[in-house]
Amino acid sequence: MFGIFMESLVIFKLYTGLRLLLALTLLSWIYLLVKEKDGRVRLLLVYAPMIVVLLFLFPISRKVFVAAGLDGETYYRILWTIPMGMITCYGACKFFAGHKRIGLVVTSALVILCGSYVYQSSYISKAENLYHIPDTVIKICDRISPEDSDTRVSAVMPPELIHFVRQYDARINMPYGREMLVARWDYYNAVYEAMEKPEIVDMEALLEATRTEYCQYIVMTQDRKTDVDPESCGLVLIDVIDGYRIYEDPVTVSVVEQWQEYYEDEE
Amino acid sequence: MIILQTLGLILWLLIVPFCMGLLPLPLLGKKDRTPGVALIAGYILLFTLLELVGIPVVLLVVYNGFTAFKWWFTPVLLLCVALGVFFALKAKKSGQTWNFGGLSGWKAISLEEKLVFVLFLLLVGFQMYMAFTRASFDGDDAYYGVQAVVAQQIDTLYRINPYTGRSAPLDVRHALALFPIWEAFVGSMSNVHATIVSHSIVPLVLIPLTYILYYQIGKILLKKRKDLLPMFMVVIALWQMFGNISIYTTETFFLTRTWQGKSFAGNFIIPAVLWIFLNLFAGDDEQEKSTAQGGFWILLTCLNLAGGASSSLAILLSCLMTVGLAVLFAIRERKPGILIKACFSCVPGGLYVLLYLALTHGIIVL
Repeated sequence: MFGIFMESLVIFKLYTGLRLLLALTLLSWIYLLVKEKDGRVRLLLVYAPMIVVLLFLFPISRKVFVAAGLDGETYYRILWTIPMGMITCYGACKFFAGHKRIGLVVTSALVILCGSYVYQSSYISKAENLYHIPDTVIKICDRISPEDSDTRVSAVMPPELIHFVRQYDARINMPYGREMLVARWDYYNAVYEAMEKPEIVDMEALLEATRTEYCQYIVMTQDRKTDVDPESCGLVLIDVIDGYRIYEDPVTVSVVEQWQEYYEDEE
Repeated sequence: MIILQTLGLILWLLIVPFCMGLLPLPLLGKKDRTPGVALIAGYILLFTLLELVGIPVVLLVVYNGFTAFKWWFTPVLLLCVALGVFFALKAKKSGQTWNFGGLSGWKAISLEEKLVFVLFLLLVGFQMYMAFTRASFDGDDAYYGVQAVVAQQIDTLYRINPYTGRSAPLDVRHALALFPIWEAFVGSMSNVHATIVSHSIVPLVLIPLTYILYYQIGKILLKKRKDLLPMFMVVIALWQMFGNISIYTTETFFLTRTWQGKSFAGNFIIPAVLWIFLNLFAGDDEQEKSTAQGGFWILLTCLNLAGGASSSLAILLSCLMTVGLAVLFAIRERKPGILIKACFSCVPGGLYVLLYLALTHGIIVL
């Protein structure tokens, strides 16, 4: 039980980032605890958050959470029910009620200084288009996308493009996707093993895997090393876009075309 | 083409939810019959209907699920729009007062408050500008974002592995959370790609919607010091921008993953529970409070199902909050009836949770 309590405590610390913004909330909470006269507001902004924190840290809560079939990794979301922003802003408004101008300046400065600017995140960049995915992905997808809206193509993509391809075009299948990039999920995929694991790609092994998965296209960066020239293995370089080589595998293309003709005849 | 697309987006993201929100307005108190509350109520109703219509389609229709969904969802929405407009006109004819005057409140506040409020609007405008012009990478988009694109382009709901595109059994863990399908629906009805809708358009609606909700909350909290409301809003807006103290906070989700259901859960569903409880128990006028209570209990019942569009956890959290807060208020007010009403308001959400458990534990196999 103590172990579970400590785990929950660590989750709480991670949630708050141990930043001073938590201290601001705590100060406001204490102020409201002492000064708030409206019992119903006290109940919502003072007592309820305290109960949530206690329940969050109580080991049985976490056991029940997981037993209910919920993902233990999302346990921190219980803390979303504590309106930290509301408590802090309301507390600050009440505290500075007699000195609004000073209150606005001081509170704003404290929030800015104690917090962390969201747009500083390394995951935020200037959008290249309305899709908010890289232009390169759009160009590559447009190059290999099937003309007929009822058909699909399959393509092996480098890891940095994998997240975006199907956000743009769901008619492009991939032998593996994001699930192979999250190490802790620990999936196995033969194409991934051949394409990404070795420093120098063994083309024979890669083609064996991609043909088993019926991949018509292989996309790789220009500096990706291969043991032999991919074109010497029968692949056709159909384009180079923004430093990515796009190869078509005529063997798989032919096999897939045969299927398509077969199914069209069946229909 | 762009003009038609823009008009389509305005229709499905603003006009339709707003008109739907007129439906419960006659049941609310006079002070709550405002455009802002109409939009909040409209979105609560919209996501409730999304779940009511969408879940049977997702579970029962294997092929062309998205077409079937649109076929059912569109007339239901339009019917609610028509009913909303009809009841609003009827209520107005019968002499009910509505606060749709617009600038009357603005004229009543001092110049200083106006300036602070303009500062707040500038901060919101900046957040919307950043949401539109900045791309925020999140790995989960490869799952949730693609579900919307799959619905739009392949016409299938939760039966394709979004990572690879292979056919798959129904993804029961996520199949009841239809937020991406709503984004696909808006895109489809406006002829806009689902990824553009989610990444570029939806934040332009959800960011102001969240602040409208905070404005309503602030109005109740500061009912005796309305002059502090502009300051409250400025600090809330700054709090959202500087609340990125970890990747887990609702503030981080709000501005970096606005289009995802889980962000909607943390930044709309959960604050909306608090807003409804404030309206139920902390209003200023006792008589008005009692007449408006029925409307807010209905909204709470809808909200406790609407959360399911975001995630199963959202429903669990909103229902737990509802029951927990009801226990506290029932004790404080010495009215056990509060707890009974709260339990009734959790029935639709409870049924959702039971269905989720039955699906994920293999009791119901599709």
